[in-house]
Amino acid sequence: MNGVPLAGYLGLALFMFSTGVVGVLVRRNPIVIFMCIELMLNAVNLTFVAFARYRVQALPDDPVLAQSQTMAGQMMVVFVMAVAAAEVAVGLGIIMAIYRLRHNIDIDDMNILKG
Amino acid sequence: MDSSAIWIVIALPILGFLVQSLGGGLIVKAVGEAKSKSILGFLAVAPIALAFIIGAMITTKVGAGPATVVTGPSWIQIAGFSIPFEWIVDPLSMTMVLIITGIGSLIHLYATGYMAKEKDYARFFTYLNLFIAAMLILVLGNNLALLFMGWEGVGLCSYLLIGFWYKDTANARAANKAFIVNRIGDWGLVLGLFLIVCVVLDVVPKETRLLSYDVILPALKTALVAKPALATSIGLLLFVGAAGKSAQFPLYVWLPDAMAGPTPVSALIHAATMVTSGVVLLNRMHVVFECSPVASVVVACVGAFTALYGALIAFGQTDIKKILAYSTVSQLGFMFIGCGVGAYWTGMFHVTTHAFFKALLFLGAGAVIHAMAHDQDVRNYGGLSKYLKITFATMLVGFLAIAGFPFLSGFFSKESILGAALSGNQAVIDGVNYGAICGWVGLAVAFLTAAYMTRMMLLTFGGKTERWRTIEPNHDAHGDHHGLDKDHKPHEVGATMWVPLAVLAVLSAVGGLVLNGKFEEWLYPQGLAVLPKVAEHASNLQMYSMIVAFGGMAFGAAIYWRGLPASQGWDETKWSSIRLAQRDQFGFDSLTTDLSVTGGAELSKFLDSTVEHTVTSGRALASATSGAGGVMKFLQTGFVRWYAMVMLIGVVAFIGYFALAIHGGAN
Repeated sequence: MNGVPLAGYLGLALFMFSTGVVGVLVRRNPIVIFMCIELMLNAVNLTFVAFARYRVQALPDDPVLAQSQTMAGQMMVVFVMAVAAAEVAVGLGIIMAIYRLRHNIDIDDMNILKG
Repeated sequence: MDSSAIWIVIALPILGFLVQSLGGGLIVKAVGEAKSKSILGFLAVAPIALAFIIGAMITTKVGAGPATVVTGPSWIQIAGFSIPFEWIVDPLSMTMVLIITGIGSLIHLYATGYMAKEKDYARFFTYLNLFIAAMLILVLGNNLALLFMGWEGVGLCSYLLIGFWYKDTANARAANKAFIVNRIGDWGLVLGLFLIVCVVLDVVPKETRLLSYDVILPALKTALVAKPALATSIGLLLFVGAAGKSAQFPLYVWLPDAMAGPTPVSALIHAATMVTSGVVLLNRMHVVFECSPVASVVVACVGAFTALYGALIAFGQTDIKKILAYSTVSQLGFMFIGCGVGAYWTGMFHVTTHAFFKALLFLGAGAVIHAMAHDQDVRNYGGLSKYLKITFATMLVGFLAIAGFPFLSGFFSKESILGAALSGNQAVIDGVNYGAICGWVGLAVAFLTAAYMTRMMLLTFGGKTERWRTIEPNHDAHGDHHGLDKDHKPHEVGATMWVPLAVLAVLSAVGGLVLNGKFEEWLYPQGLAVLPKVAEHASNLQMYSMIVAFGGMAFGAAIYWRGLPASQGWDETKWSSIRLAQRDQFGFDSLTTDLSVTGGAELSKFLDSTVEHTVTSGRALASATSGAGGVMKFLQTGFVRWYAMVMLIGVVAFIGYFALAIHGGAN
């Protein structure tokens, strides 16, 4: 795989995912939180395509099975992208609505459902 | 006439009911209030009279063979269980059909005269025709479900008719009381039916008509002969039902109050027909009682006690209808003695003769009440034989019949019951013949019967003092009727009212002579005998019966021949304590009222103040919920990032756990 081992991709994905998690937990701006969620989703996407590619190398004798396994991993990535796009559309809409209502989108102020 | 004509007999009163209920108002509008009464009256009497004629024609063809079952369309049909509309044509059902339609048409005729001044003429006859229809369904239905349908139908009509003058609260209360007390009886009846279905299903598992008599009676005989305990359970449950409808102690309390209804209703429903349906039920299901000495003893002893109790209370009553009501309670007790000791046909014999003379006495009492401006207090009567000659003559026959005057109807039927009780073999436990004890009690009650009936007759018709002239009556008549005044002159009733009286008087006089012994041949072969047949005649009983009848009449006459004794007058504070106790039913009615009505109210007040206010609505439940919520609400901080953190910790813990588990499993 062009000299880069699987572990390299997984390490990068782990770094991206952790960054996303920490970002979600520490930031108060929902737009940044969204960006962090995207980061997590893309980390997952990266692992999907990396594993898909890795499987092809692991199954050199059966090109048909290898092809289908590659396709499966790559298809998942397409699904995740579509869902992420839809989620962003809805989420940004909600953020817009909240801003119009309150002129403030600080996530820590959104606590009216507090018990 | 063919047995299938029984459909016509049932359809006619239903038709009458529909015409009266749907067309009654239209007829009144079309021809006016006054003219409509003769039309409505005719439309009410005609179907019942026609049904009687058809019923009589069918009866002539009914032989001693097995019962004919006329099957119709299905009523309830589910897998493994079906109830068709089917009618049984046999001596028992046809006897009742003739009583219901025969006495019924006479009383309908009487009612056209008695109710002539009432406004709701059509409503009255609607109920009365519906009652006849329901009663016919009760006795003719070939399964216990149809019996139950009729049972509830007559209960409903009884309720509606007791409360006919519903504007008076007392009447509405009496109607409610009758309805509610009857529900207690229904409870027993329905449980009995369920138990019968269970028992029958064991014997004939493939049969679907699990309530039809032709299926269940042989099956019950097979199942119960070896199981007296089961027979006792079924018997006692059925008896609870019978006791409710037939006013046996302790469920009799509704019947005296039921006299709030119009007098024809008292005569038809609360004396001649509906209250005898318990006896009909015992006759139908006698195989159960023959298998259970305990249930038989209970039936006979409750009957004997009720007979004694009703007769004693009758002495303390001053309302002429109440006297007759307690007399009915007492006579129903006699019928139950007959059924309990195993000679169930004597019960039916007494049902028949009682229907004659008690209907006669009630209708006669109605004529007296009619003549006396709706005053019902016998203390306000006296010397009426001079004014009401026909009523007096007919009532005299009824009185002699119920008192057991030799060779009148009551003499024969009462004697057959007592004879069967004294020689009976069914109500015996451990060698103690409870039936015989009941027979001796019955003989004593026969004495009391003659005495209290003499009291009623002499206070009403006897003497020269016309007491309503001498003392200002404290009348408690219906609010919309004017009471008696000093110049009141009683007038004899019209032909529509005295013709039924005359017919019933003839029946009361000769009915016993004609029917004596017939019921035994007529009903006994129909049954499924378990025990040997009971003899009806005990030695010297006829002599004893005559002695108690004449003794009772002499006893009554000795006290009341000169009119109302001063110690029993209007001022009830001067009454002896025994008579006061009799007036108050020995405190039983007020006791049950206190226990059920007041007690129930107190119980619900207690539940309201304690359980409701502390546990459910107020403190306990609500504070428990809100307390739990108060603890949990600290987790609900409202910080989204805190929630995300919790989620993260949860996911890490979850994945970590499985990772470790897989790792551990790999080792």
